[in-house]
Amino acid sequence: MSDSHAQRGAEPEHDHEQHHEGPGYATPQAAIEEGEREKLAYVMSLYVGTDVDAPDFVAVVDLDPDSDTYCEIVDRIEMPERGDELHHFGWNACSSSCHMEGLKRRHLIVPGQRSSRIHVIDAKDRRNPELETVIEPEEVFEYDLSAPHTVHCIPDGEILISMLGDADGELPGGFLELNEDFEIEGRWEPPGEIEMNYDYWYQPRQNVMVSSEWAAPKTYYPGFDLDDVEAGKYGQKLHFWDWEDGTVEQTIDLGEEGLIPLEVRFLHTPESTHGFVGTALSSNMFHFWYDEGTNDGDGAYRAEKVIDFESREHPDWEMPVPGLTTDILISMDDRYLFGSNWLHGEVWMYDISDPSNPRRADSLSVGGTFGDVQEVQGRELNAGPQMLQLSLDGERLYWTTSLFSSWDDQFYPKESEQGSVMLKADVDPRNGRLELDEDFLVDWGECPDGPARAHEIRWPDGDCTSDVWQ
Amino acid sequence: MSGHANDRSPSHTVTLEWPDGRTRTVAVREDETVLDGAERADIALPFGCRTGACGTCTGRLLAVDGVESEPDSGDAEDPDIGATIAYTRPPRALKDRHRAEGYVLLCLASPRADCRIAVGSSVQSELVENPWK
Repeated sequence: MSDSHAQRGAEPEHDHEQHHEGPGYATPQAAIEEGEREKLAYVMSLYVGTDVDAPDFVAVVDLDPDSDTYCEIVDRIEMPERGDELHHFGWNACSSSCHMEGLKRRHLIVPGQRSSRIHVIDAKDRRNPELETVIEPEEVFEYDLSAPHTVHCIPDGEILISMLGDADGELPGGFLELNEDFEIEGRWEPPGEIEMNYDYWYQPRQNVMVSSEWAAPKTYYPGFDLDDVEAGKYGQKLHFWDWEDGTVEQTIDLGEEGLIPLEVRFLHTPESTHGFVGTALSSNMFHFWYDEGTNDGDGAYRAEKVIDFESREHPDWEMPVPGLTTDILISMDDRYLFGSNWLHGEVWMYDISDPSNPRRADSLSVGGTFGDVQEVQGRELNAGPQMLQLSLDGERLYWTTSLFSSWDDQFYPKESEQGSVMLKADVDPRNGRLELDEDFLVDWGECPDGPARAHEIRWPDGDCTSDVWQ
Repeated sequence: MSGHANDRSPSHTVTLEWPDGRTRTVAVREDETVLDGAERADIALPFGCRTGACGTCTGRLLAVDGVESEPDSGDAEDPDIGATIAYTRPPRALKDRHRAEGYVLLCLASPRADCRIAVGSSVQSELVENPWK
């Protein structure tokens, strides 16, 4: 282990007084108290892989129940080219920069997962954001990287993007760094630190970053092929990085119970070394944490399976159907882990007040292969719950239904004809309850150019999957 | 029929066929891809990475010089994809079984003969099945 771990538990280097100068909130609890109710959502919306002759777009969705256009897409920021596959996106700055005077949470970094084109959107006007700059794929390929995925800001104003492949869509992936002017700064890490890449999260006070693994772009882009799993072409590892140095300090192989670790989240409190990763194909949740007593007393991260979602028999299907836990998030108060079982059609919340022993609080059976609820307001759901977003106060959970265009076509072929939906559940965090809000429905089937898919969701002023504290 | 669309490069007549039976015919030069040729003719085909990794642009070769292809027939008379399609870089998104079945990546494929190709987003979805169903 590097000497960086000696910093674990150190005092923050900046002032966390109430009146911070930069973006975001001083603490996770401040986000809960000071963050207003989400009145708009930005949602990745896509036509890639369909016959609709239109580019992908960022949808601005009205979430204000008092508005005349509640549950409607009130603006669309179209990308300049077709074929992007807008997927995940992030802000130029979040609460990890709350000490940076003058820095604002203003620009959305919106990568094309297939195109490797990176868009920068100026969201100064939260309701009418505008495309500002574009980094063309050729500029990205020069760094022998492709397939941009997770976007987080670095606390000094720069931006870090996980890249899943090399310029040919093969392994290894890596990380691309942008400067504060949204120009490519270069590769963040020395090449060769990892092979596969996917999502990442950092916990700066612990000087640690964790990254997960999907597969080479050429493997997952065309669709899911079980032969590729058997050939070892899908990931099953977590990498723990020295955040300052950009080097991998420890790799944990999650084994067969940990196939395809996707969304990875640390708890929000900057003191914590605890986090969770959803292993999508195995449909398990792993808890990871820094164990000071292990590794002959030198300390190391450990990971342990803490939730196992059983496969289910389907009368018309040949093999038991896995849940496919494709997204997870942690509530801002670090009390609950929410997740989606996309193939089964389930949204769940687990009490993680004891992170080693998650306790099922509630779940909803909605959409997907087995969901009890298959339509809302007469609208067929056609797919399971997928990307989640939770209100800062933890009282409203929203989700969309598209996973990835080619994978959607494989498991939910109607989604390309009918488009995705965004749904909502009311959460009672005090009592650990979820209730589907059937008055809420946003329908991407009604888009002017034709039915579109919908993927990741963000709020205008920080959310449970954007914000990190230093 | 094959010919010279301009002074620079020979071209071939490529007929694009959608699942609903609609067809469009374009002259595609040997120094451009089928996707480029279609775009020049203002025909919107699906595409993604344009590097051969993603398969979004997948089409399927139906006939070469008027001779119908029968995928998987093993018939030596079948049109030879290698003699019909030249790739500018390896079509990584396609497995060997896909190539044997006549699937081609239109973002990288340049014609070497007149041909007819099945196009549209549904062709890509033929590459993989739901493994549990």
